[in-house]
Amino acid sequence: NEAAVSKGLCRVLAGLADADTIFALSSGHGRCGVAVVRISGSAAATALRCMVGLGNQLPPPRTALLRSITDPHSKEVLDRGLVLWFPAPHSFTGEDSVEFHIHGGPAVITAVLQALGSVPGMRPADAGEFTRRAFHAGKLDLTEVEGLGDLIHAETEAQRRQALRQMSGELGRLYQDWSHRLKRTLAHVEAFIDFSEDELIEEGVLDQVDISVCDLQAEIEQHLKDERRGERLRSGVHVVIAGATNAGKSSLLNTLCQRPAAIVSPIAGTTRDVVESALDIGGFPVLLSDTAGLRDSPDLVEQEGVRRARERYREGANQNNFLTIQLISVQFKSTQPERNSMCLLVLNKTDLLPEAHREKLNLELRRVSGLPPVCLISCQTNEGLKDFLTVCGDPLSGAPTLTQARHRAHLQQCVAALAQYRWYRDSDLALAAEGVRLALTSLGRITGRVGAEEILDIIFKDFCIGK
Amino acid sequence: MSHMLTKKLPPVQSVSFLVSRRASQLSRQRYDVIVVGGGHAGTEAAAAAARIGAETLLVTQKIQTIGALSCNPSLGGIGKGHLVREVDALDGLCGRAGDWAGIHFSVLNRSKGPAVWGPRAQLDRQRYREFIQAELLSTPRLKVLEGSVEELLVSDPNPAEPGRHRVAGIRLANGSQLISASSVVLTTGTFLSGSLFVGQTLSPGGRMGDAPSSSGLTHTLRDRLGLRVGRLRTGTPPRLLKDSVDLSLTKLHPPDRQPTPFSFMNTHTRCKPAEQLPCYLTYTTPGVERVVRESLHLNCHIQQDAKGPRYCPSIESRVLRFPGRSHQVWLEPEGLTSDLLYPQGLSMTMPPDVQLRLIREIPPLHRAEIHTPGYGVQYDYVCPTQLSPALQVKNTQGLFLAGQINGTTGYEEAAAQGLWAGVNAARRALSQPPAALSRTESYIGVLVDDLVSRGVTEPYRMFTSRAEFRTSLRPDNADLRLTMKGFELGCVSAVRHHEAVRVRCSLQNAIAALQALTMSSTSWKKKLPGISMSENKNQALSGMDLLQYKDVSFEMLASVFPESLAPYMEFSQRLKIEAVYKPHCDQNKSEIKKIQSEENMSLPQDIDYFTLSVSLSQEVREILDRFRPTTLGAATRLEGMTPAAIANLFKYVVLTRRQESMMSGKQADNEEERGEEPCKRNASLPQ
Repeated sequence: NEAAVSKGLCRVLAGLADADTIFALSSGHGRCGVAVVRISGSAAATALRCMVGLGNQLPPPRTALLRSITDPHSKEVLDRGLVLWFPAPHSFTGEDSVEFHIHGGPAVITAVLQALGSVPGMRPADAGEFTRRAFHAGKLDLTEVEGLGDLIHAETEAQRRQALRQMSGELGRLYQDWSHRLKRTLAHVEAFIDFSEDELIEEGVLDQVDISVCDLQAEIEQHLKDERRGERLRSGVHVVIAGATNAGKSSLLNTLCQRPAAIVSPIAGTTRDVVESALDIGGFPVLLSDTAGLRDSPDLVEQEGVRRARERYREGANQNNFLTIQLISVQFKSTQPERNSMCLLVLNKTDLLPEAHREKLNLELRRVSGLPPVCLISCQTNEGLKDFLTVCGDPLSGAPTLTQARHRAHLQQCVAALAQYRWYRDSDLALAAEGVRLALTSLGRITGRVGAEEILDIIFKDFCIGK
Repeated sequence: MSHMLTKKLPPVQSVSFLVSRRASQLSRQRYDVIVVGGGHAGTEAAAAAARIGAETLLVTQKIQTIGALSCNPSLGGIGKGHLVREVDALDGLCGRAGDWAGIHFSVLNRSKGPAVWGPRAQLDRQRYREFIQAELLSTPRLKVLEGSVEELLVSDPNPAEPGRHRVAGIRLANGSQLISASSVVLTTGTFLSGSLFVGQTLSPGGRMGDAPSSSGLTHTLRDRLGLRVGRLRTGTPPRLLKDSVDLSLTKLHPPDRQPTPFSFMNTHTRCKPAEQLPCYLTYTTPGVERVVRESLHLNCHIQQDAKGPRYCPSIESRVLRFPGRSHQVWLEPEGLTSDLLYPQGLSMTMPPDVQLRLIREIPPLHRAEIHTPGYGVQYDYVCPTQLSPALQVKNTQGLFLAGQINGTTGYEEAAAQGLWAGVNAARRALSQPPAALSRTESYIGVLVDDLVSRGVTEPYRMFTSRAEFRTSLRPDNADLRLTMKGFELGCVSAVRHHEAVRVRCSLQNAIAALQALTMSSTSWKKKLPGISMSENKNQALSGMDLLQYKDVSFEMLASVFPESLAPYMEFSQRLKIEAVYKPHCDQNKSEIKKIQSEENMSLPQDIDYFTLSVSLSQEVREILDRFRPTTLGAATRLEGMTPAAIANLFKYVVLTRRQESMMSGKQADNEEERGEEPCKRNASLPQ
C-alpha cells in the first residue's frame, strides 16, 4: 500500500517539473582537474546535438565518449572532454540529461556555460533545482530530501553573498538603474492600458515608453558586447600588493611564490619597479604584482617606482578582476588605504607582537565595521598564511565570471523581450506590454522580483487617475 | 442563442406578490444556504447556490432595492469587463442583465489588443433591477425574504474540520425568528458599521435612503468570532437634473455603432443600436479647486483617515493631489427615460449648498440643479486574509463573505466574489469539497487570490495589470476557460454547457482546418497577392501562421478556401485572436503548470507556525502566521518568503501527507488521486 501511495505522490509531484531546461556546473567552483557540467530537461538533446559533433544521432545512453565541445554559434572549439547522454527516465533528475566532463579551468567552464546559455530554451539552474527535480520525479526518497532545504539555503546564501559583492560595485549600480527604468516604463505601459481610455493619459506616454525601450535595449546589447570576458579570464585575476615602504610587500610576494622573486631588505624603498609573478591561489590563475612602497622620495628612480605603483592601483580601481592587498605592518600607527574595487587588508609582522597584543588586535579589528576582509600574518614565521589564503580565496571564488554567465543569460532574455515590445508596439499593445513584463522578469532574476503592486504604486504616483 | 432576451419578464404585479413573503410564511425554517444582502454579490451568490442545487434563502432589507445600482449607472470596463465575461461564463447574472439594461455599449481599448479589450455599458437603472429581480424570482430552490438580520447563530465546530466555530443560521431582527442553515453568505456591502457623511453631518447607514443595519452582525463578527476588521471609505456624486444642464457646451461621446453583448449567450443586446444614448464629456475649472479649498473645514469625510480608493477619488482628493489641472467629468445617462445625469468624477462630500456652488463652476453645469446630493460612506471590512480561497472565514465553518465586506470596490468585483462564495457555500451544504479557481485560469482567481493571500490596504479594484497571464486570460475566451469547469461544479446550465461545447469543437475544427492548409510562402503570395510577407520563399506556412499577420483576416482566407473554412465564419474574430495569441499562450503554459501544481499542495490551516519543527526563520514564521496561506503556491507569493523556507514547507507538506495516508490507508490514497486533478481541463483547448 505504501508503494501505491508514494507512486501517487510521485505522479502529483511530477506535475511540478518545469518545462525549462536547466544547466549548471555540478562540480565545485574554483580550480579542479575535471569539471562536470550538467544539463537537464527536454532541450538537453538539442544542446548535445548542437554543441557536440555527432551528426544527427545521439550517443548510446550512459556511455562516455571523448568529443570536441563547440560553441553552437561561432563553432569555435571550447574544449575536448567526455560527453554522456542519459535519456529520461534513467537519469538523476528523471528527465533527459547530459553531462559534459571538461577541463577544470574557469575559462573553459565559463565558455561552456555561456555557450549553453545561448541555446534556446535553456537557462542556468536555480539553487538546488537539480535535486528538486530529482525529488519531483521520485528519484530521491524522502530521507534523502531532508537535506534539500539546507542545501538550497547554503546555495542561496552563497549566491546572495556573491550578488551583494557584485551589486555594490559599478555593475550593480548599472543593473539597478536598468531595473528602475524598466519598472517605470512598464508602469507607463500598464497605465496606458488600464486607464488611458477615460483618463487624462495622453498618447505621449507611449512615445516616452518607445524611447525608453529603445535606449534600454541598445544599452544592454552594448553591455553584452563590450565585456570581453574571455580575454580577461585568460589573463587571470590581477592582484596588487600595496602599502607603505617596509611593510613587507616583497616578503609577501616571495612567500606566496615560494621563491625569492623580489629582493628583500630591511632598507625602506628597496623595491623600485613593479615585480610581477604568475601563480595559482585558491584554484585561480593570478598575476601578482609587488609595487614600490608609497612615500615621497628625493630619489628619481624611486619616484618613478611610486608613479608606476599608483598607476597600477588606478587601473585596478575600475576593473572587476582586480584585487588589491593592502599590506600594513603592525608596527605602523596609521595608513591611508587605497580605494579599490576589491581590497584585502593584511597586517604583517605579527611575530613582532606579543601573543596578548595579537589577540587584542584581532578583537579590535572585528569591532570596526566597514573594513575590507582582514587577516594577520607573519611572512617571517608563515603564521596566519593558511588563513590568509582562505580569505584571499573568498573574494576570488566569488567567481565574477561564473555569475556573469548567469547574468548574461538573463540579460540576453531581457533584450529579446524588449524586441518583442517593439515588434508588437503598433499591432497589439497587450502583447507588446508582455515583452516589457518579460524583460523586467528576466532582469528581476538578477536584481530582485517586482510585483504588480509596485507597478501600480508607480502608476498612481505618476498619473492622476480619476474615473 | 439569445434566449434571455426573447424571454418575457414576469409582469411587475406578480413580482411583488411573489416576493412579499413574511418570515412566518416561509415554507421552511431550515435552508442549505442563506445569503444576507441583495446587492451585486448577494444576488449572484443566491442564484449560484440555487443553481448548484442548494435550497437557498436570500434575506434583504428591501426587496425593491435588489439589483439596485447604488453608484454609477455602468457595468464593465478594462479589467472589470473581464470579470463580467467570466461571471457570465459561469452562468452568473450580471452579463445578461447588462445586455438587457445597457443603453450605451462600447468596447474600451479597442486599439490595444484583444487581451485588454474592456467591454462596457451604461445601464438603465430600472431595467437592470427589473432583470435581476425577475431572474431571482424565477430561479428554482431560491426564496427571497424581506427582513433584517440581527445576529449570526454560532455553535461549536464540527471537530472533523478546521475552524473554531460553526455558523448555524441567522436570527431576524423582528420577532427574533431563527432560521438555520449549513452555510451563510454575508454580502452586507457598506452596511457593516456604515456611516454616511454630508458636510459636517454624520448619520449611521450604508446607503442614503436605507435603514442602517443592526449592530448585532458587527458584534458577532468582531467580538464573537474575533475577526479583524479595518475601515474604508468611498463616495458618490450628486445626481443632476438633465434639463438644467447645457449639453451644447460638452463634448459628445457616442457609443459603439454596433453594441457588443457581455454574455456568451447573446448575439445582440436588448437596446437597438440606434436607440443608444450618448455620454458627454466636460472638464473642471480653477473655480472647482477654489470651492474645494474654501469648504475643507466643512467637509468631515475628507478629513477622516480611512483609506479611499486611489483610482476613483473624490473631486476633493483629485484637486488636492493634482492641483492646478483640469480634470475630466463624464455626464452619463441614468436610463432611457430618466431625467437625471450622473456626473462621473464628481464624487463629493461637502454640504449640499457648497456642492451646488462647486458644480456651477463647470461651464455646462452653470445653471445645473442637484436632484440628490453626493455623500461619503465609511464602513468596516473584514480583513480578507482571514478567508480561505473558497471565501469561507477560516475560523468559522460555513460562514462565507463576498463583496465590499472583503475590502473590494465595484459591482463586477462584488458579483465575481458573490458567485464564487455562492458556489462554495452550496457545495459545503451539499457535503462537496470546496472548488478551486486558480489565478492562472481566471481574473476571478486573481481577485480571490489577491484578497486572501495579500489582503487589502485600500478598496481593491481589478486591473488587467494584476493578471500575470494576461495574454491567456482574455475576455474572448472566458467560456473556454470556465464554462466546462462551471458545468462540472454544477453552476452552469445544460443549455450554456451545450453551447460552449459547440463553440469549442468548432474552434478546434477550424484551427485544424487552418493548420491543414500548409504551403510555401510563394504559393500563399499567389493566393493572396495583397499581403506583405518577409519569410523566405521555401518556408512552409500554415493558415494559422498566416492569420498571425496583421493584414490577414480569417475572412480573406475563407474567401480563398471556402470549402474548408466557410463553415467557421461565425468565429472569424475569435480565430484571428487565437492565431495571434497562440505562441504567447503556449509560452505561458509551462509557467502556469508549475504554479497550478504548487496551488494543489495545500497547507493545513491549523499549523502553529511558531512551534512547527521545520527550519524556518522567525521572520518567515511571523509572515506565515499572519497570512496563513492555504497552499504552497500562495506561500511563494508572500513578500519576504525565501526559497529555503518554501523548500522546507514543501518537505513538510509531503511528509504530512505521507503520514496521513499511512494512517488512513486506502481512503487517503483515493483522495490523493482526486487531489491531483481537482478539475479536469481539456488540454487540447485553444487558450
